[in-house]
This record gives sequence, structure tokens and C-alpha cells, in this order.
Amino acid sequence: MSAVVKTITPFINKEMLLQALDCLNFKYKIKGNEIVTERVDYYGNQKFVFVNGRYQFQHDSSANKTDYPWRNLNAKDYKTVSSFLEAVEKEYNRIYAEKLEELERIRQEQLAEQERIRLEEEMKRIEQERIAFVEKQKQTIIQKAKEQGYSVQEKKVNNKIKLILQRNTY
Amino acid sequence: MAEQTIAIEIDENGKIKAETEGIKGEMCLDELQKLLEDFGELQSVNKTDEFYQNQTINVNNKIQNKKL
Repeated sequence: MSAVVKTITPFINKEMLLQALDCLNFKYKIKGNEIVTERVDYYGNQKFVFVNGRYQFQHDSSANKTDYPWRNLNAKDYKTVSSFLEAVEKEYNRIYAEKLEELERIRQEQLAEQERIRLEEEMKRIEQERIAFVEKQKQTIIQKAKEQGYSVQEKKVNNKIKLILQRNTY
Repeated sequence: MAEQTIAIEIDENGKIKAETEGIKGEMCLDELQKLLEDFGELQSVNKTDEFYQNQTINVNNKIQNKKL
């Protein structure tokens, strides 16, 4: 003898569960930790109650029969509790997947933005390194030239530094 | 009196081009070496006509130094 038991996806996220109900056009009321639906069985409104980190659906255990005498069943497509929960689960999982995709897209955008900023900073650093190096070269040449008796004229032409060193010998 | 000129061009990447004028013989290379010895390997050296001219100034200076 064997048995296979499957549970529905635990409805952990309230926001997504509400969105799933919205997508199925089910009306509900939120009362504290409860999401009270319009489905009314023998014991009253069926509801999702937040217990042990997930929303459990509370209902009359007999409400899974197709010929259950509903006091009020708003959605005729989902007469049994299991068909209702399957529909909610399907929407919940779809919304959950979309949310994950959106978060992944945002994460990728943020990574791209971080990488762009990092590359910009790297470019700035390399550019500053180059400018500092060229400046040091220029200053070294000017200093050496002056030590050797040259007068120095400096010009900048087309992004190039031109130094004219001159001295007179007798 | 002789005027000695060295024109130095440093491009945006730090590459240096230097040209002497009025410095004759090997002295022109010596002068450039003094200025540029710290700046890495030379890519090329092109000698101008002045390189092959006599170093009259240098020689004169040496003669004067000997007299002293």
C-alpha cells in the first residue's frame, strides 16, 4: 500500500495572495490576520488565516463535494474548495514568478549601473594617473634643463606640451 | 655667442620627442641624454646634419680650460 500526498503551494506572501484573488475576481475583506472571502459555507465565510508563517484556508471540510449546499458561492467555476485553491495557487505562482523576474531585472540593472559607475571611476583614475605622469615628466625636464642653464618656455599645442629650452654658449 | 635650443614635445600619453638645434656633434646626444635619461627606452634616434659638424664650441671650451 502506498500513498502520494501533495500540498498546494504555501501562500506565504499576503500581497501576492491578494493579487491572486484580485486576478480571479474574488472579493475579500481583511480582518487582522485573516483574509475573509465571499465563499460562505455551512460555518460561514471561508477565509485565509495566517498560521505558522503561511495563509491556511479554513472551510467546512465537506465543502469539497461538488453537490455541497453553498450558502453563497460567488464563483461558479470553482465550486469545490480544491478547485478554488488550485486556481488561487495557479495565479499565486504566476504572480510569484513575475515578481522574481522583476526583482532579477532590477538586480541586473543595479549590477549594470554599479559596473558602469565602477568603469567610470576606473577611467577617471587612469586618466588622472596619465595626467599626473605627464606633468611629472614635464616638471623633471624643466628642472633638469634649468640646472643645465637653459631657459624654458612652455606652450600647449593640440594637447601636446611643447618646451623650448634655450641657452647661450660663449 | 651661440644659441643652443632643444625643442621637447610631450604628447598626451607622455611620449617625448626632442630635437636639438645649434648643438653640434655628439654633444647634442649628450644633452638629450642628460635631460631624458629617466624616461625609458628610446624608440629612435635620427641624427641631423649638425651631429656630423665639428664641435667647435666644445673644442674651444676644452682649449680654454687647458689654458686655465
